[in-house]
Amino acid sequence: MKGETIPDQNHIARFCRPMQAPEGQIQATAFMLRADDESLSVNWLEFFNCSNRENEIAKIQTIYSETFTVGARARIAILNVGEVRKKVLTESPDGRNLEVLHDPSINDPSHSGIYNLKQDDELIAELILETVSESYSARK
Amino acid sequence: MPEIDLHRIHKGFDPAQIPSIVYGNKSIEDNSPSDYPYSDTAACKFLPKKIPKKIFYKNTAFVNQEEFSTSIIDLPDNQDPITQATLLENEEDQVQELIFQIRKSLSITYHESLANRLLTLFNDAKEEDSTSLGISVGSLRNFYNFFQLHFNLKCPTISLTPDYNIYASWRGEQNRVFSVHFLPNGDARFVIFRPNDRHPGRQIRLSGIATTDVLMKTVVPDSVSDWISE
Repeated sequence: MKGETIPDQNHIARFCRPMQAPEGQIQATAFMLRADDESLSVNWLEFFNCSNRENEIAKIQTIYSETFTVGARARIAILNVGEVRKKVLTESPDGRNLEVLHDPSINDPSHSGIYNLKQDDELIAELILETVSESYSARK
Repeated sequence: MPEIDLHRIHKGFDPAQIPSIVYGNKSIEDNSPSDYPYSDTAACKFLPKKIPKKIFYKNTAFVNQEEFSTSIIDLPDNQDPITQATLLENEEDQVQELIFQIRKSLSITYHESLANRLLTLFNDAKEEDSTSLGISVGSLRNFYNFFQLHFNLKCPTISLTPDYNIYASWRGEQNRVFSVHFLPNGDARFVIFRPNDRHPGRQIRLSGIATTDVLMKTVVPDSVSDWISE
């Protein structure tokens, strides 16, 4: 449901472009907003109701490949919602309270967003990077 | 080096293409890239098939007061006045020129590694979207100026922001981080994570903005250069 808050114990996947994951290493630039973006696009993994992470990743890879060009070195970063929110709330200079909300689209029903980010949030991008728990290839 | 006739007006020359003031009494060099000794195929991948002749003028009208080159493209006779595609191509040419300058800057400790990493990023960005900038020229110039001032730095991890600006990160022991976002206007936004010596287990986190020429002086109190320098 659009606007639904994703529970803290759930997980989200962030697409990391090859230029944001040199040599397979995801960098803070993967968690920076483009100039016109209101939120950082992610996918809600538990939305798929899969039994394991492998199947969730396969679903995400399919969505990516049907939506945009996926570079050979693109990666998927997996984040726990509660860990990201807590890290940023307790360690950012302004105690930023991020919101992770479901924002589905017709082609991508698991689409969600991290809200309350700003365009010049390098420090918060670095904090989010520290909470990346797993990473996978974004290509099938 | 071929002699350049300053009084000759090229056909197709459009003064509107001059991106900044050109000082006629400055040294002039012909840096035509047609004879670039690129040694690897990756470097050649995005070289245009037909490279417009360029004349490079030195000037110092930049925030760091560093010398940099201003190029005037001598368009082929049958080419229309500037179009968006031409501008993009020119920017790509400038990016490749700057990467080449980094590659041949022997004073920069990791000049080869830096150039290779930049080329990989440029190719990655182009692979995703061939109409993209690849790398922002202004950001790359800012990055290059920074490394000319601080040539003994360890090789950072380089990535690109969503706006194709360069973001360099150094990571050290005890979760130390020094990251720099090189903006096209000569500024750099930086982030520092370092241990809190008085409170073991806790961290000091700072961010700020400075022109790249004073960036390292700005972060002196945080002893950044101690661990990011060779």
